[in-house]
Amino acid sequence: MSVINRNQAAGDGAINACSLVKRYPGAADPALDHLELQVRAGEFYGLLGPNGAGKSTLIALLSGLLRADSGTIDIMGVDPAQQLPALKPLIGLVPQEIALYDGLTAAENLSFFAAMQGLNGPIRRDRVARCLHFVHLTKHADHRVATFSGGMKRRLNLAAGLLGEPRLLLLDEPTVGIDVQSRALIYEKLLELNAHGTTIFYTTHYLEEARDLCRRLGIIDHGRLIDEGPPESLLQRYRAATLDELMLRLAGSRPRD
Amino acid sequence: MMKLFTAAVKELKLLAGDRTGLLVLFVMPAILVVVITLVQENIMRLTGQELTEVLYLDLDRGPVGTSLAEQLSAAGLVIVAAPPERATIASVREAVIGGMYRVGVVVPAGTSDLFEQESLRLFRGLTGQGGDADTTRIALPVFYDPAVMASLRSGLSARIETALTAITIERQLGRLQALMTGKTTDGNQLAELLDQPLFSLTEGTDAAPAQQYNPVQQNVPAWALFGMFFTAIPIGGGLLKERSSGIWLRLMSLPVSPLTLLGGKILAYLVICCCQFLLICLIGAILFPLLGLPAFTVSGGGAGVVVTVLLAGLAACAFGIVLGVICSSYEQASTLGATSVVVAAAVGGVMVPVYAMPPIMQSISIISPLNWGLTALHDILVRGAGLPAVWDDLGLLLAFTVMALGLACRLLPGRH
Repeated sequence: MSVINRNQAAGDGAINACSLVKRYPGAADPALDHLELQVRAGEFYGLLGPNGAGKSTLIALLSGLLRADSGTIDIMGVDPAQQLPALKPLIGLVPQEIALYDGLTAAENLSFFAAMQGLNGPIRRDRVARCLHFVHLTKHADHRVATFSGGMKRRLNLAAGLLGEPRLLLLDEPTVGIDVQSRALIYEKLLELNAHGTTIFYTTHYLEEARDLCRRLGIIDHGRLIDEGPPESLLQRYRAATLDELMLRLAGSRPRD
Repeated sequence: MMKLFTAAVKELKLLAGDRTGLLVLFVMPAILVVVITLVQENIMRLTGQELTEVLYLDLDRGPVGTSLAEQLSAAGLVIVAAPPERATIASVREAVIGGMYRVGVVVPAGTSDLFEQESLRLFRGLTGQGGDADTTRIALPVFYDPAVMASLRSGLSARIETALTAITIERQLGRLQALMTGKTTDGNQLAELLDQPLFSLTEGTDAAPAQQYNPVQQNVPAWALFGMFFTAIPIGGGLLKERSSGIWLRLMSLPVSPLTLLGGKILAYLVICCCQFLLICLIGAILFPLLGLPAFTVSGGGAGVVVTVLLAGLAACAFGIVLGVICSSYEQASTLGATSVVVAAAVGGVMVPVYAMPPIMQSISIISPLNWGLTALHDILVRGAGLPAVWDDLGLLLAFTVMALGLACRLLPGRH
């Protein structure tokens, strides 16, 4: 059952980031250093990079939580810095943390976030029910999140990001710390969303999942996009057998502080 | 508005599932108000504001022994005649020193005869009838429990001395009257003459006093306010959890204003504050009489009490919001919050009334929000003041709220 109905023309730009710079106070180097990025509408785009490369900072900028020091961002014709209220209905954010209230039930969590989306009454109840069904948590609707397994929490975390039926879904490492079965379900659902037209921007450390899910991959390090392209063409370009080898070649083998 | 109420309902649901939070907010102030009020009421009894038992051993069995007992009883003391097993000075001393009685008085055998002899010697010496006016002072053993506070001790000593003075005056006046008129007056008529008051004290107040000031009137509003300000900890802690768990990030990506979210927290905990105040008042009104304490009553100024409680609740919530913004961990917020509230309560007159503090502490007390709220409530409940009389204290609470929320909004992440 499809959660989201799409009417966005494939091929139009979903994300257009030009020369983005973001420096945190007191930091020696910028978190983003003239980053250039384009993601087409309806695309499943993966962003890979070592720790501290700038992935989460970019997610924060795209969702309007931070403002860039310089550069421009255009998300489906909306500038997050100037038109934040217009941006919020377009995007769904699935943070890296399990952003849920442990003391509430699954349904209460989704109902609250749906209300903050501006959904009320039967529309809210229907949306909550559909999102729970989408991530296979209907029978756990009245259970407190504190009792959930890690995989269930991640699925509910995803469901919370879908409540607004976003056109662009921003996911920051959404499968960290969960078992293979839960991860497989999340992959399946993300591919289903993408098949129905949702643009997905996905950051991850799991290179093989990026290869399986993403139509295009971007490699980021030190705040810059080093290279991007379909996974297979990247492997060919750098004569790497695996994405692990590709990453080590592009980003170096020294652990990041 | 719908988002505001939904955010408030969310907070109440979270609190309903937090047993520790509910204990801190409701059970702790309830226990404190009962314990502290009982202790303070008992202290007042020990310092003499209530009846004190006197172990009385009359070995004299004469007029002095009888009169002294009557005088002390009329002064409000409870005379307990020493039982046969305590019919010696040493046993009375032992009973009092051991803490069974606060005070013991012994009228030694022959006291009345010695009193008659010495008072006559003094009378004759002073009225020129011959003989010298030098007298031998009659010793009456009085023992005090070492644990008796100095103020009680002084009060009891004064009452005993007053009683003995009255006995002496009565006897000497009788002699003087006989000397002057050649007649003697009936002892009862003389006593009645001496007891006839020629003055009376009238207490003038501009307005009818609302209530008698007692530990109940002090402690019920005080500990209610204390409990209300402890809501700062779950408010601050909750906000911190949202910030550290990514929930705040998620909320900032949604079309909802940070002010709406904070407003929901304030609305929810304002309801909690009102429930806390109501609970403590009900304890004062219903439970205290069952424990032998005066009942807490609100005889007037209901509107003033409501306004004060709401403003104090707002100040408490605003403080909690500030904690949630400036602290970097739940542990930090709970430690800083609890410490701040306890210090503000101590300084503000919750544990000890401000008037009982040394001058320097009275000066410091004016910076405590709990002092502002408590002063306003006491003015309304005890002094019968109306709202205009407490505008300054309410204004301080409002200003504190506005400044705290302004600071929080300035520092809150994701506010753009």
